Amino acid sequence: MKPIWILARRELAATFDSPIAYIAGAVFLVATGLLFFFGLGGTDDFFAAREATVRPLFEYAPWVLAVILPAVTMRLLAEEKRQGTLELLVTLPVTDLQIVLGKLLGAVGFLVVALAMTLVLPALVLSIGHPDVGAIVGGYIGLLLIGTTFLALGVMASTWTQNQIVAFIVGLMLCVFFWTATDAILRLVLDQPPPELALLSFQSQFADFARGVVDFRNVLYFLSVTTLAVLASTYSLRSRHWQ
Amino acid sequence: MTSAAMIQVRDLVKTYGDKNALSGVSFDARAGEILGLLGPNGAGKSTTMKILTTYLSATSGSVTVDGIDASSNPLAVRAMLGYLPESTPLYADMVVYDYLLWCGEMRGLAKADVIKRMADVARVVGLENVMGQVIGTLSKGYKQRVGLAQAMLHNPKILILDEPTSGLDPNQIIEIRNLIRSLGQNHTLILSSHNLTEVRQICDRVVIIHKGAVVADGTLDELEGRVASRHHLIVGVQTTDAHTQDAVKTLLAETPGAQAVTFSHTSQSPVPTAFFDVEADTDIRSALFERVRTAGLTLLELRRKSLDLEGIFQSLTQSL
Repeated sequence: MKPIWILARRELAATFDSPIAYIAGAVFLVATGLLFFFGLGGTDDFFAAREATVRPLFEYAPWVLAVILPAVTMRLLAEEKRQGTLELLVTLPVTDLQIVLGKLLGAVGFLVVALAMTLVLPALVLSIGHPDVGAIVGGYIGLLLIGTTFLALGVMASTWTQNQIVAFIVGLMLCVFFWTATDAILRLVLDQPPPELALLSFQSQFADFARGVVDFRNVLYFLSVTTLAVLASTYSLRSRHWQ
Repeated sequence: MTSAAMIQVRDLVKTYGDKNALSGVSFDARAGEILGLLGPNGAGKSTTMKILTTYLSATSGSVTVDGIDASSNPLAVRAMLGYLPESTPLYADMVVYDYLLWCGEMRGLAKADVIKRMADVARVVGLENVMGQVIGTLSKGYKQRVGLAQAMLHNPKILILDEPTSGLDPNQIIEIRNLIRSLGQNHTLILSSHNLTEVRQICDRVVIIHKGAVVADGTLDELEGRVASRHHLIVGVQTTDAHTQDAVKTLLAETPGAQAVTFSHTSQSPVPTAFFDVEADTDIRSALFERVRTAGLTLLELRRKSLDLEGIFQSLTQSL
């Protein structure tokens, strides 16, 4: 465990040493803030709805996370490959799995900071009305889970290339694809997709969290996808041995 | 000085796709020895080192470090190694102090121990004045020292240094060579180089790799002895014109024992001199001297051409 923690600490510090963390953080806060207050127009408007709820935050935040989190993870392994520092890192007495987990944990640190900064929105709503606190807690648990899953997908993309831009674009495509496209593609392929298949998309898995319901199966779903991405990343690091 | 083999490399084969990078490399490094891996660029030195450090796996063959098999127990082997890869990759945005502290902690050392070791290592490699600097702002020579410092931070039994002086200026090269020489007193050290002078200055023993195979393995004296059985002489005779040069060449060639005489070059200062390379199977220096003198010519130079490492290297790698 210890090397994972030591690696994560360095990654978090390196993230905040680079402008990317501040740009990604600012984009996240501004975009979620605007979407929270003004929505995409019409009835979404927080002021027009006249309802003390944080739900719009949980509806829009995953979209924004899917775009900004790959920018946080793109550097993690692609840069090590390009600079050659990967060779020193993987010849330390640590396993490839520990390296992937350390990198991911460091990025989760950024996610926690970014989510913590949005707490001003529920605080605001709490000050003017009586929203469902359970729903707020459930929503944040959901955002942490889906964000971690996005980060794991981004880390995986970063193990596939030396080029940060490529890592970002591939990570972005994976995140957006899993967030939105599974439903759309199912509908394209099948006229009436069976509801079991629809359950595979992030959106349907996240829906309960946004309503404030923390279902064990939804938690397990995101943890499973994260685990798969971590294993795929580890495999990708290991593949240097048989290339 | 040397004892049992600290590192045993046996029949290493490494193929990248259909390209053979290594085709059966075997050698030993004994405890406390400085071993030089020598070879032209692309010979397989770096690949061998990447396998030794468990960065890559061999297609077949084995590496045993202090009795531990590297492929079945890579973490135990890595713990014994300090490694400086080619071109010294470092985290450019970190401060030297933080970087070394991080390396030590990643290797499982307690923070207090790392800080103590860092002070020692910084003194040995000469980093004391730049510990607070960002690595990216350092000169190449200082970066190399940071690379060496991270390699020896945990006081490993074995140091593996891939081209440790490449890209440095002449003064930095001398400093780093002296440093490596002093490290050899406490560590088993394997370094790669394509610089023969460097290997002569630093290494106890040399393994020459060429086209993915070991072509020579021994001390420098042994290798020189193997190639330098013939006598090579350089003869300089005072002469002013080309006609005399031809005559001198014939004169030298007719000396009993002389096998091949070739004209080398002329020099005009301080006096016009023609130089010849003479090969013989015995020592014919006194006979040559007599012949030149009785011909009424002035012998200005007569010396043995020591067959240097370049010569050994060429004769070993070109015959293949």
